[in-house]
Amino acid sequence: MTSTRITPIGRRTLLAASAGVALAAPAARAQGFPERPITLLVPFATGGYNDRLARAMAPFVQRHIGQPVTVVNRPGGATVLGNTFFLQQPDDGYMMMVHSAAPFIPVSIITRNARYKAEDFWMINLPSRDATLMACAPDKPIRSIDEVVASLKRDPRSLSVGLQPASADLINFALFCQGHGIDRSRVRVVTYDGGGPARNATAGGVVDVGLVGGEGFLPIKDRIRPLLMFTDEKNSDYPDTPILSDHAKAAGFEPQFVDGSQRGFVVAKRFVDAQPDRYRILLQAVEKASKDPECISTLAGQQLATTWYGPEASNRAYLSTSRLMERYGELLTGRAG
Amino acid sequence: MIDTTAFGAAVALLAGSLDAWIWVVPGLLIGLLFGALPGISVSMAMALVLPATLYMEFLPAIIFLTSVYTGAGFGGSIPAVLINIPGTSSAVATTFDGYPMARQGKHNEALGAALFASCIGVLISYIVLLLLVQPMAEIVLRIGPYEMAAIGIWGMVLLGSIGASSVAKGLFAAGLGVLFGMVGMNTAGYMRGDMGIVWLLDGIPTIPAMVGLLAASQLFALVNAKFIVESEAERSISLRRILAGGAMVLRNPVTLLRGSAIGVFVGAVPGIGSSIANLLSYGETRRNAQDPESFGKGDVRGVIAAESANSSSEGGSMATMLALGIPGGGATAILLAAFAMHNVVGGPRFMEESRDVVYAIILSNFAQAAILVVVGTLFVYGASTLVRLPLRYLIPSVLVMSTMGAFAIEGSIAGPITLFVFAVLGWLLSRYGFPVAAVVVGLLLGRLIETEMLRAWQLAGGDPWYVLNYPWALAIVGLMLVSLGLSVRRDMRKRRLAAARS
Repeated sequence: MTSTRITPIGRRTLLAASAGVALAAPAARAQGFPERPITLLVPFATGGYNDRLARAMAPFVQRHIGQPVTVVNRPGGATVLGNTFFLQQPDDGYMMMVHSAAPFIPVSIITRNARYKAEDFWMINLPSRDATLMACAPDKPIRSIDEVVASLKRDPRSLSVGLQPASADLINFALFCQGHGIDRSRVRVVTYDGGGPARNATAGGVVDVGLVGGEGFLPIKDRIRPLLMFTDEKNSDYPDTPILSDHAKAAGFEPQFVDGSQRGFVVAKRFVDAQPDRYRILLQAVEKASKDPECISTLAGQQLATTWYGPEASNRAYLSTSRLMERYGELLTGRAG
Repeated sequence: MIDTTAFGAAVALLAGSLDAWIWVVPGLLIGLLFGALPGISVSMAMALVLPATLYMEFLPAIIFLTSVYTGAGFGGSIPAVLINIPGTSSAVATTFDGYPMARQGKHNEALGAALFASCIGVLISYIVLLLLVQPMAEIVLRIGPYEMAAIGIWGMVLLGSIGASSVAKGLFAAGLGVLFGMVGMNTAGYMRGDMGIVWLLDGIPTIPAMVGLLAASQLFALVNAKFIVESEAERSISLRRILAGGAMVLRNPVTLLRGSAIGVFVGAVPGIGSSIANLLSYGETRRNAQDPESFGKGDVRGVIAAESANSSSEGGSMATMLALGIPGGGATAILLAAFAMHNVVGGPRFMEESRDVVYAIILSNFAQAAILVVVGTLFVYGASTLVRLPLRYLIPSVLVMSTMGAFAIEGSIAGPITLFVFAVLGWLLSRYGFPVAAVVVGLLLGRLIETEMLRAWQLAGGDPWYVLNYPWALAIVGLMLVSLGLSVRRDMRKRRLAAARS
């Protein structure tokens, strides 16, 4: 599990288990499904991780489901528009989402007063798990995470910090400050509208340090100095970067963090309940595609994840992040700047 | 600087491959066509052809996509000139003088000037890219909120009251535009003015609003006209006059170079560059002209300024993409996606290891600029038959196209609704003598200035003197003040002379 030490499990597992029972139902009503093309809905603009993942997976899902698979983008409102649109579709299984379900679904509920609930969505598989990375430009005089801590402890105003306002990164920074006893309200937090702009500002030295998903930094890995990864296990992309669990242990506080983006295939919970047979067909197609050796090698070449965690583990991860988001919701809605 | 071995390899790469060439003309044509359709953006055109590139080799695929990019960059100015509808937000300034020229029957010249200015702009930007790709990417990455805010304010000061009969009306219109621009979530995550409508979370859809404002205000003004060009004798489509328009570009080298320089550097700024570069270049050209009052009434220099700036931003945004792997906008994001589809990762390592491929891409763009002159001339020749179309057919077609475009770009009915609301508003504003163009400028620049000023304030932690750490931003503001002072003095002297003479 990539999640945190303060993960609430229990009821969620039961939920996942009950869905497993539903799966065992005979495939009576699914006859002939699918008989027309399947749409993958991406609630982001073209070119981002989810868009690339959807487009790369489409031919392989197509191969295993026997119908053409097309990708449609519906960006806007931090995924509120795409999510709302998706939930308005009939429960016929002809549309799946490829989504950064966590943290975007819970964040949109907390910060945009979206009318759906986190439980309205059901994860088929979330292969991509991204973690927050704190980094700075290589020409900054900051050498290590300890220097960041020392500087912020001495004077919270001494460093400017770039991040996205409603994000896992902000929560992680808040928890980090809390652990070190740094007054976050006095830190000069500079807000950016997306991971891309925040990453550019960090690499360009416009802000002293930045917190963005580690995968976003990969293309310009040589142009930044990674300082701290908000995980509890070493990341293969940043093998030499200190991780939060070690850092917190050394500093003597409880390591708390939330996962960055968890991305993958999502359907509506309503659909899973109403059409268990069709759901199982989709599930099997995504599973077979994810385990297809050709798919794995093609996507690996594009730095896209295919790991099969399955619905149970994926929903558990998603719901635990949602819970954490709700718990720290006031950090997201409160003063960010 | 230039690595000659890699350069030689690049030439060999291009010379030895027919595949690298056959896609240029189709790419340009696709780009021109989609760019000319209002509502279809450069990045949408590229996204549409992206799947086809999967089956090509890497270099032909990238060349095909950059051809679409180059073609669409110019395509947007065709509707801007002929029907006052900018195909993209980067062609806004083209409408200011292009459309008045068309109405006077100088549509051939306007389109010719736009085409040549575009081609030369692309060429200049790629020459700069070839020589300075690395340092340029570094500079662009370092441009922060202070510098951007200064650039935005500069544009606002230059164009804030554009087209106004009185300063008060101009300021009112610009203020209205700024207010519209601020609807939605600001960069710190606060919602304003969305009235609980989810479609407004990201703000008012810019392109449908802009098309509504500009198109409606003009189309209603055409109610009693039978053709865009009143006089039948002027309604000609002439290759000679298109080329004469091109020659006008060469006679205004200062305008052209200034536009290209602004385009390369401002246009390179990720995200917002190209839509502000054309406005800045237009504003600067107008301010520096001996007769600023001729602008907005069909001055070819306005077209040249706008087009040289918006097309040269292509090279600028390619710099950050090639050197750093950072997409500056939708178009370069799709190029990066195409890189990924061929298992190539853009960025510093790609620049180091495949310098020949990078040079080949740049060299191919030189060729594309040259080929665009020919393809574009023919395309423009065909497109300008629009002026022969009676308005009773043209106006409904334009309305239908704009509505479909607004739907396409938003992917929902929110686009057409925005178009409709802003069309009514645009008509009301122009009916009562408020400059619609100033609303558009406010809409485009207001949000930028607000966002960047907010970040500047966050960066400073509320300390107003923090700006002293940003000499470049201060220099931009200083230059702006000096040049404004000079033009005010010139105006006053002119007025005094006129008063003395009468």
